[in-house]
Amino acid sequence: MSEVKVPAAAVSGRSGSRLLSRLVQQRATLFWAAVVLLVVLAALLSPLLSPHDPLKGNIREGLLGPSADHWLGTDKLGRDVLSRLLYGARVALLAGLEAVGIAALIGIPLGLLVGYLGGWPDRIAMRIVEGVMSVPFLVLAIALISVLGPGLTKSMAVVGVVYAMTLLRLTRGQALAAREELYVDGVRVAGAGDRRILFRHILPNITPPLIVQVTLMIAGAIIAEATLSFLGLGVQAGQASWGSMLSDAQASIRESFFLALPPGLAILLTVLAFNQVGDGLRDLFAREAKGGSLGVNPVHHESGSGQPPPPGLVAADPLLRVRDLTVSFPQPGAGRVTVVQGVSLDVAKGEILGLVGESGSGKSVTAMSLLGLVPDPGRVAASAVELDGRELTGLSFEELRKVRGGAIGVVFQEPIASLNPAYTVGDQVAEVLREHEGLSRAQARARVVELFEQVHIPEPDKRIRDYPHQFSGGMAQRVMIAMALACRPRLLVADEPTTALDVTVQGQVLDLLLELRAETGMSILLITHDLGVVADVADRVAVMYAGQIVEGGPTEDVFRRPAHPYTEGLLASLPRNVRRAGRLPSIPGVVPPPSAWPVGCHFADRCPYARPQCLETPVELSARGDDRATRCVRAGELTLAGVGDVPAAGEPLPPAAGRPVVKADPPLISTRIEKRP
Amino acid sequence: MKTTDPGPLLRVRNLTVTFTERRSTPWRRPGAVTAVNDIDLDIEPGGTLGLVGESGSGKSTTARAVLRLVRPSGGSIEAAGFEVGSFGRRVPIAYRRAVQAVFQDPLGSLDPTKVIGDIVAEPLGIHFGLRGRERDKRVAELLDQVGLASHHGGRYPYELSGGQRQRVNIARALAVEPKLIILDEPVSALDVSVQSQVVNLLEDVQERTGVAYLFVAHDLAVVRHASDRIAVMYRSRIVEEGPADRICERPAHPYTEALLAAVPDPDPARQRLQRERRRELRAAAPAAGPRPATGCPFAARCPHRMPVCAETFPGWTPVPDGGRVACHLFGGEGTARPSDTHPDYQETSR
Ligand SMILES: Nc1ncnc2c1ncn2[C@@H]1O[C@H](COP(=O)(O)OP(=O)(O)OP(=O)(O)O)[C@@H](O)[C@H]1O
Ligand code: SF4
Ligand code: SF4
Ligand SMILES: [Mg+2]
Repeated sequence: MSEVKVPAAAVSGRSGSRLLSRLVQQRATLFWAAVVLLVVLAALLSPLLSPHDPLKGNIREGLLGPSADHWLGTDKLGRDVLSRLLYGARVALLAGLEAVGIAALIGIPLGLLVGYLGGWPDRIAMRIVEGVMSVPFLVLAIALISVLGPGLTKSMAVVGVVYAMTLLRLTRGQALAAREELYVDGVRVAGAGDRRILFRHILPNITPPLIVQVTLMIAGAIIAEATLSFLGLGVQAGQASWGSMLSDAQASIRESFFLALPPGLAILLTVLAFNQVGDGLRDLFAREAKGGSLGVNPVHHESGSGQPPPPGLVAADPLLRVRDLTVSFPQPGAGRVTVVQGVSLDVAKGEILGLVGESGSGKSVTAMSLLGLVPDPGRVAASAVELDGRELTGLSFEELRKVRGGAIGVVFQEPIASLNPAYTVGDQVAEVLREHEGLSRAQARARVVELFEQVHIPEPDKRIRDYPHQFSGGMAQRVMIAMALACRPRLLVADEPTTALDVTVQGQVLDLLLELRAETGMSILLITHDLGVVADVADRVAVMYAGQIVEGGPTEDVFRRPAHPYTEGLLASLPRNVRRAGRLPSIPGVVPPPSAWPVGCHFADRCPYARPQCLETPVELSARGDDRATRCVRAGELTLAGVGDVPAAGEPLPPAAGRPVVKADPPLISTRIEKRP
Repeated sequence: MKTTDPGPLLRVRNLTVTFTERRSTPWRRPGAVTAVNDIDLDIEPGGTLGLVGESGSGKSTTARAVLRLVRPSGGSIEAAGFEVGSFGRRVPIAYRRAVQAVFQDPLGSLDPTKVIGDIVAEPLGIHFGLRGRERDKRVAELLDQVGLASHHGGRYPYELSGGQRQRVNIARALAVEPKLIILDEPVSALDVSVQSQVVNLLEDVQERTGVAYLFVAHDLAVVRHASDRIAVMYRSRIVEEGPADRICERPAHPYTEALLAAVPDPDPARQRLQRERRRELRAAAPAAGPRPATGCPFAARCPHRMPVCAETFPGWTPVPDGGRVACHLFGGEGTARPSDTHPDYQETSR
């Protein structure tokens, strides 16, 4: 899902047809696009469609009401209103195209150039743009036209130049951002010159926002034309334009109120249609850009198989008990795909359970679904999710929110991104306390300092006044942990808590987790892709692959004697700090996407031990010994290699404990320096 | 040039890169960050140098300076016979042919509006003027070399998995038959099971083509596997350098030691030892002090800190089993003996 970072591929090729199919779902945009199309047709075909000459009329037939001959009646000079309206569409569109065309021709190339070059050309261009844009648009246009003289072409050229400033600024901003993108470095290193980078790579990537802006600008230009024509600065007197029609109507408003309606409605509808299409396009491109929003998704209750999961995944004294958890997302063209299939597991009181798997295996979705935090179109169901005996399925989102942050604390991967940059960290933690525990301001503050001490943030009473960006990654993660601990949770859900941190800092955060567990007796559900982290802190491990738990049991046993071929492959392919012995073992192929999961064993196409029977029927989890579970039809016959079996020839063990702890004192220098004789 | 002088393929001397920070407020003077401070690097033709260090230590900036994507403020870079410092705004096309790159973010480094075939074909057109059938044939060959099928050529980058995208990046780099490829965290964004596929692919390519690598990564275990030599960077400085196995088995610099102790091992028994070691080192570290403006960059965290450490940056001392270390513990002129000073790393512990 997070794969969908593809705003710009919007423009051509197969992604274009995908965009089209998405457009079809945007009914409103389609409707307004049809309106635009009608206006365009009216403009193009006005000579054919018009029943009368728009410029000639019989003054004796002035101000007639609608009739069979004159559907919309006639104006004061007896000219047919419908014909004038149709010709007016032509004027409006031509004016819009002229202004926007000029704006695009000036604004886009200049914007690209100054955005890409930066430096002084950029600064000069931006000063000019700011100067021009600081004057109200119409005032500027009227001032210029009064110099140049009236006339539609001239006045729209002026409008175009003013609009060019807006486009220039937009293009420049987009180009500036695109210039920093890694793919630009990529093509530059490939040998592409500036012109190629600019027109072949950056321009196609920034086209979508430009299209949106240009569409909205046409609407603006149509209004500008009408306004200027109304004021007599646009079309020549007598010519049919919606603006001049309005002005005529105004002149005879006492005699006929009706005359103002057709041009007024035409302007309103056309402008509205262009604006709606522009907004629709923006939505369309934006939807390409993000996968979906974080939404609210309570866990639905659904009766499961009733089968208890095998040992290895169950605990005698569970704090968290999950049964038959299933999560699905709608996928275009494929109905719903199930990304987590029937996950059952327990977390015992005071236990750290490691949930490992590669990206796309469903480990994060599993954890987030327990908290009601699955992104929006997702659907979560389970036969049971019990926290300390309390059933969480069927709870409303509001009730779940109380549980989360109360009995369950959460820590995410990106500590700094998870904190609000606009508030001090102290205030953010205090807010949690005041909301969930109802503490007063002073009480909350005292407790925050206490929490910061608990997670070893130095000088807590000073640091609570700092903002997130003033913290390093490791310290920010401590703040997140402090926040998660605020309401003394029974269960801490930590999703890749150390992945964004440096290894030396990672060690400190893991030590902190171990220490907090010992202090508070809480349980931890630790989600990670790093087997080293699991080996470090987890008592038990559950391995996920392609939406299913494939193996579970005590960490040490599982890693020494894996019972599933995937666990074996994962352990073997992990680069370790050992002397090189040929190529790294690896698992061939890639994790298949959810829509391609087979009925049988999900791992079959990558498994070196696969047999035809593996693909026949769904593979169930089965017990192995009295504390292990595995999902492999050949589990009984296979003997798999674990970490102890890694050839470690010639490698020294890590330094033994008991090495004298060295204090930061100078005398040591004598023992460490070996002067050459 | 290179044929007459069979020196290193890449020779970096006293490289320094300084960024001026954007002013937060107009009346404040813009600050400067020295991202890379006076570093030296050498890579032999066909060799691999691993560059490790924590985030923000200046690894990527070093890589980008060699690629001329940032301008150094001091020092010299000689690569594949070119003096990089002499380039103006335009980098000679021949340099782009000799030195290629693969970046950390496999998706971000591919133009989202182009299909894979066009992405791989682009350098073929630029450098060799290949067109039409001939070019398509070469694209198919390149895709095949990195283990992709020719039907991938018609896909967009977002339609591939992370590992496949990184293969595309490698294919594009290989298209021009470069002498040196800068790999900036080439596998960090990939899943474990795919990571090793890509490391192996890089190794195959090297065997077949004799290309040299600068392998930048934060994961010491990956770097050890992929490199002949390793340079360890800490806060803009290189603090230790030497043969990969020596660095990883008998580190001399206290920072390298801390880094090694932090590398988690999936073997729970070994990891327990690692954890003890990690805690021991941390217990011995002084309470985090301010980072000295001059002197050893590790002084704030170093268990062996001495008064002199805060004042001057230590000079280089050779290490017996290869390489050298910049740490006051090893004096200036003497020879460091990490195996003497670290009893636990002695041969007997094998
Ligand atoms: N364009 C820039 N402007 C200002 N500062 C920069 C810029 N690029 C990098 N830096 C700073 O230079 C320092 C070194 O950055 P660099 O990207 O080289 O680190 P790194 O070792 O590659 O880290 P990582 O492992 O996170 O990729 C950091 O402090 C960084 O914030
Ligand atoms: S069921 Fe068959 S394919 Fe699946 S893991 Fe077991 S042996 Fe491999
Ligand atoms: S120079 Fe001093 S502070 Fe730096 S690593 Fe060596 S002993 Fe530690
Ligand atoms: Mg980097």
